[in-house]
Amino acid sequence: MFFKCGEKTSPISVILVTSGSRGNKLLFRYPFQQVSDCTSSLTTKQRSPYALNTTGDVLEDPDGDSRFSDIILATILATKSDMCGKKFELKIDNVRFVGHPTLLQHPHTIQVSKTDPSPKREMPTMILFSVVFALRANADPSVISCMHNLSRRIAIALQHEERRCQYLTREAKLMLAVQDEVTNMTESDPQSPFRQILPKCKLARDLKEAYDSLCTTGVVRLHINNWLEVSFCLPHKIHRVGGNHVPPEALERSLKAIRPYHALLLLDSEKALLAQLPLDCSPALVRLIKTCSAVKNLQQLAQDADLNLLQIFQIAAHLVYWGKAIIVYPLCENNVYMLSPHANISLYSPLAEAFGQQFPGHDLPSMLAKFSLPLSLSEFRNPLDASVQEAQLIQMVVWMLQRRLLIQLHTYVCLLVPPSEEESGLLRDEELPLVARVGGRSLSTPSALSFGSPSIFTQLMIWWRICFSLISLPLV
Amino acid sequence: RGSSCIRIECIFFSEFHPTLGPKITYQVPEEYISRELFDTVQVYIITKPELQNKLITVTAMGKKLIGCPVCIEHKKYSRNALLFNLGLVCDARTKTCALEPIVKKLSGYLTTLELESGFISNEESKQKLLPIMSTLLEELNATGACTLPIDESNTINLKLIEQRRDPLIVQEYDVPVFTQCKDHFIKSQWDLTTQQILAYIDGFRHIQKISAEADVELNLVRIAVQNLLYYGVVTLVSIFQYSNVYCTTPTVQSLIDDRSIQEECLNYVTKKGQKRACLRDVFQLYCGLTPGTTVRDLCSRYSQQLQRVDERRLIQYGLMKALIRRLQKYPVKVTRDERSRPPRLYTGCHSYDEICCKTGMSYKELDERLENDPNIIVCWK
Repeated sequence: MFFKCGEKTSPISVILVTSGSRGNKLLFRYPFQQVSDCTSSLTTKQRSPYALNTTGDVLEDPDGDSRFSDIILATILATKSDMCGKKFELKIDNVRFVGHPTLLQHPHTIQVSKTDPSPKREMPTMILFSVVFALRANADPSVISCMHNLSRRIAIALQHEERRCQYLTREAKLMLAVQDEVTNMTESDPQSPFRQILPKCKLARDLKEAYDSLCTTGVVRLHINNWLEVSFCLPHKIHRVGGNHVPPEALERSLKAIRPYHALLLLDSEKALLAQLPLDCSPALVRLIKTCSAVKNLQQLAQDADLNLLQIFQIAAHLVYWGKAIIVYPLCENNVYMLSPHANISLYSPLAEAFGQQFPGHDLPSMLAKFSLPLSLSEFRNPLDASVQEAQLIQMVVWMLQRRLLIQLHTYVCLLVPPSEEESGLLRDEELPLVARVGGRSLSTPSALSFGSPSIFTQLMIWWRICFSLISLPLV
Repeated sequence: RGSSCIRIECIFFSEFHPTLGPKITYQVPEEYISRELFDTVQVYIITKPELQNKLITVTAMGKKLIGCPVCIEHKKYSRNALLFNLGLVCDARTKTCALEPIVKKLSGYLTTLELESGFISNEESKQKLLPIMSTLLEELNATGACTLPIDESNTINLKLIEQRRDPLIVQEYDVPVFTQCKDHFIKSQWDLTTQQILAYIDGFRHIQKISAEADVELNLVRIAVQNLLYYGVVTLVSIFQYSNVYCTTPTVQSLIDDRSIQEECLNYVTKKGQKRACLRDVFQLYCGLTPGTTVRDLCSRYSQQLQRVDERRLIQYGLMKALIRRLQKYPVKVTRDERSRPPRLYTGCHSYDEICCKTGMSYKELDERLENDPNIIVCWK
């Protein structure tokens, strides 16, 4: 049984349930179950009570999903109305369901479509609905809360569209009609009804798209009823260092640590990024993307883009959160870079191939080998090279930074007073020498320097280089 | 061991009454689960057949209920089946994974008791449940364990086991080192394989060497060490050689900031029989470890600072506490003729440590072989 580590952050399935005057219904689920597997789980075998219950061991499919039937899911996921408006979390063996059940107001009058030829009768009313994600039980709590967030966003959009034009009721009606049609078919080996629903229902396609995106890129963009945009990103898929995801708290901390002396490095080309933006996006965002550069710090960027610093911070944080940019120190001659411990230096990695295509005649491992020892940009460049080659070398460094192959090193200063021999009478043996920290990122004031005489101070500088993650995300 | 941080707020016994339907028959403390809460969650407590015998955890109204619904079918019961569920209630924010095996075990115990002696269906014996539940609640919260005889042939044995993260895979070139003094661990509690290899774990022998010297098969050693790793008894560092290269990590700052780490470090790295080394020297030594500097270089540059410091323990401590990290060498064959085979080991995926372990070459031999090959470049990371 093999799990890719990314699979812990992917959902097992997405399920849409409703509860109303027609009872609890499962409208749609994706991925589809094969009908044959479904029936086997429903057979009530006369089990000997002494037989071992192998839960979590052998009989389950590798995804850890015990293949719940549609009916039981409808019962357990369409909750009572007092659970609405809150996070819904249910764990059954090794599957965890998370959703946000939402109450729909009873419409006082139900608009029956004028083109509907059927005789006017009591339309079934939907009381509540829930978009539920099934996850593996060992999913990180932060993943669970992100999925809940997405469920809630979709619910808000659906609730709005339902109130405006009964969108959900209409889609539900379509889905149920297809389900009824399929179950009435007497042909052998019926297909899953949900497969038939997909081409007919936009909502079903949206849910499938959400599921597919969550399993691959982690970026979800839906247009509910071709009108309301629901966008969401799963940080666990987008921000990965060395095969592990960056925990959301670390991400939050680093976003708060953006400073005016940092620079913003886009991860896509300017053109590609602008093409991804929605039509109604903020013009400030567009301006920022057009003016930013890896050699310009955020303060300068604020001036060039004619925005205030706070706006720059907010937009930069937004771009970093969505995985479209990273925070670096502005590129300059004295920057020292080194090979990142998480870099993939394999000869056959997709990165090596991409590098070879981008920079013909050069190969990635040789370039990375140069950074095995910390190298400053000025040392990396050869002043005798033609300026074209020089420019290409800088592009290579930027390329490597974007893919987190390089980290930047910074120098910190620390002040350590040696234990003085004459004063040993005054100090206890166990007393450790006075330590103060100057410079670097410390905010300590120079008052620490008032201890000790100037001569001791000058004797005591200790320099060291410590590794510092380039994008100010701590290495986990 | 003391109580774990899981606090069980309530234990309840729920069943399907032939006329009243699902209800809570007993709960300790009384009245903890409100009528409203039970109405909301009863579908997850007394469940449809498809959900029976599954561990179900539902969160509602600020509480988490963990149960395992049981169904025993027999003609003798009214409605031909007995449905019940003994569950636990915690605050919604509690991480309850460790309680799941307990709930499962309890459901197993009750099933056995019912099948053997009708413990639950008999109204008289059913009443014994209440004091049992009280004792369970008290003892599990106090000590995380409970041993309770029910009748002559049945005793309930429960223990809350801390859930730990899966350990890393142990490689043959990894070196296990004890996180605390070896004597803390009672030898006889471990399995035979572990007992055999314990003496060879000294923070310098790697897995392959331990296997050879202790005469235990390699995979068994790996599994035993992985087990020790799981319980936090050992941690892994890399093989020590004077040709190794290390560099500092941001954590080295903790040596300056954290008094307890300073104390621990200085005690650990001072040479036996010498006066305690001073922080300045030790810190300078750690900072002297940079890419391109071997341990041998460090020793010659900082001989004065090393007078009171054992460099092997310095490196060991630095690795254990992640103050420093090892820079490994990875050879990559970047160019080759069309006719030669594609590289198997020189792909950038295998370090010198690994290659030497797998092929039996020494570092020096590998170095000599690769240095003269113009097709091979070396990356350090």
